[in-house]
Amino acid sequence: MIDVRDVSRVYHRGADEVHALEHVSLFIERGRFVALMGPSGSGKSTLLNLIAGLDRPSGGVVEVAGQRLGDLGEDELARFRARHVGFVFQFFNLIPVLDARGNVELPLLLTKLGRAERRARADTALRVVGLAERADHKPSELSGGEQQRVAIARAIVTDPEIVVADEPTGDLDAKNAVEILALLRDLAREFGKTVVMVTHDPRGEAFVDEIHHLDKGVLRDTVAGGAGGGGA
Amino acid sequence: MALPLRYPLGNLLARRLRTALTIAVIALVVVATTLFGSLVSSLKRTLVSTGDERNLIVLRKGATNDGSSVLPLEAYQTVRFFDGIARDENGDPLASPELVVQPFFRTADGGRENVLVRGVEAAAFRVHREVRIVEGRAFRPSSGEAIVGRGVAGRYIGARVGDVLDFGRGHWKVVGMFESEGSSFESEVWVDVRELAADAKRSIPYSGLRVRAADGADMDALARRIDADPRWSLEATPEPEYYAKQAESANALYFIVVGLALLAGVGATFGATNTLYAAVQSRRAEIGTLRALGFSRGAILLSFLVESLVIALGGFAVGAVAAAALGRFVSWLLGGIAFGAATFTTSVIQLRVAPGDLLAALAMALVIGLAGGLAPAARAAKLRPIEALRRA
Repeated sequence: MIDVRDVSRVYHRGADEVHALEHVSLFIERGRFVALMGPSGSGKSTLLNLIAGLDRPSGGVVEVAGQRLGDLGEDELARFRARHVGFVFQFFNLIPVLDARGNVELPLLLTKLGRAERRARADTALRVVGLAERADHKPSELSGGEQQRVAIARAIVTDPEIVVADEPTGDLDAKNAVEILALLRDLAREFGKTVVMVTHDPRGEAFVDEIHHLDKGVLRDTVAGGAGGGGA
Repeated sequence: MALPLRYPLGNLLARRLRTALTIAVIALVVVATTLFGSLVSSLKRTLVSTGDERNLIVLRKGATNDGSSVLPLEAYQTVRFFDGIARDENGDPLASPELVVQPFFRTADGGRENVLVRGVEAAAFRVHREVRIVEGRAFRPSSGEAIVGRGVAGRYIGARVGDVLDFGRGHWKVVGMFESEGSSFESEVWVDVRELAADAKRSIPYSGLRVRAADGADMDALARRIDADPRWSLEATPEPEYYAKQAESANALYFIVVGLALLAGVGATFGATNTLYAAVQSRRAEIGTLRALGFSRGAILLSFLVESLVIALGGFAVGAVAAAALGRFVSWLLGGIAFGAATFTTSVIQLRVAPGDLLAALAMALVIGLAGGLAPAARAAKLRPIEALRRA
């Protein structure tokens, strides 16, 4: 599903070169819930951005859902993301002026679905995350945990193969954090999504199938998570 | 695929104050553009609409207007029988000999203005077809009577129907008021031409002659024949051409107004740009999110342009209503606006906000919206998603 082979990513900051990732290889099977962990600057977010098609590698190959992302142009990458990737962010990143349903519906505007079908799917996704009755609320009227659920509904509404989550529990209290982690796990378990999560949160370890530790742009080790999926 | 319209609209509502201020700035530009534009176009319309394309104005060669021309009696009596001049049902030529003088009239607020008094015969009403008596009746020859244009009636002391006007040596009883479809005749007083000549002690009774060409007659040939007659040095000009020349004085004003409108428009454009840049800056993460979800750069660009254009249209709507109301108020307050025309007489024009003036203001508002929105929208579209998503 996700095949990262010998991937490097170099940023140019003025005259300096920053090696965010160096020769990283990683294979993630379909339906797995995977955590990328490591200290700040370890390259885990860079790796997540490459997998999500937000960025292109300086070297190596990133192949996701059968597509080599390095070959795609800016707008082709946008289409790839719309079709194959759902996004969950640390600060939820809901559109403030749209209500929960409007936010969840957004990615469907990039499909050919009609208005009624879009609305039905958005309501279904909201039901999956347990927020069907809050569909008409604006983000400002929802708690942090509820906003992140809306964001997850938005991430799955197009039925993508992959969901990427960047610090999804970083802005939540303990109770909500656990609920969100359980929800992401269920996406992998029950809906067969491949979920890749960047996190600092040690609670996450109990929910994932495998954990990849990065440090200074290098993949250090891979261990099995508490969900007992059995890593390599 | 574009973002839904409620996205830009919602964002405009979300920052009401900034949106309202920007709309107000554009509305001010629209008001200024519309009112100044309609002032100039009303003036031009008044002058230009005065001509009838079947009419020739015959003046002494070299005279730029009928105030500076003289026409000998014999010239009138000869020219009126030239071929190609229309005739009425009695066989009389449609030729109107006219004398103009420009005395001072007193305005209601104590000012003194030159007003054009035109001495005419009955034929004038057949040559100048747009002139219609709307109140009272036409003057009777040799009875000390006058009729006044609508613009004169409202502006000067003693110029209403039933009043007595004092100018020259005489007292003139105002017996009627006329309209001429807004043309400059409405800024004139008409009296009997012989009475006026006697009053002004003019030995040569006429300033000029207006003739109406017969249907199907060759106007150019008629004009050439008048021009070429060796007995009198005369020049025949089609009326629209004559009045267009009179209207040239409005052109300088027109360019000044256009210049001012453009300056104000540039200012408003910067205002709109500023507003949109602030919006882009405060919505970086949002733009990054939309791009991550798969919305194209074009969709982002379009959405911000729509925001800018909605602001511009809002400004136009507010400004247009305000301009129309102000225009009516000014007309009501002043009863018309006086312009010293090139002939040193006063044209009293009615300020009217015409559809053309509003269209010009609309075009201006849309240009402000587009020009003001383009740079910020392009910046928003160019944001790379990972950079936009990074929290500062």
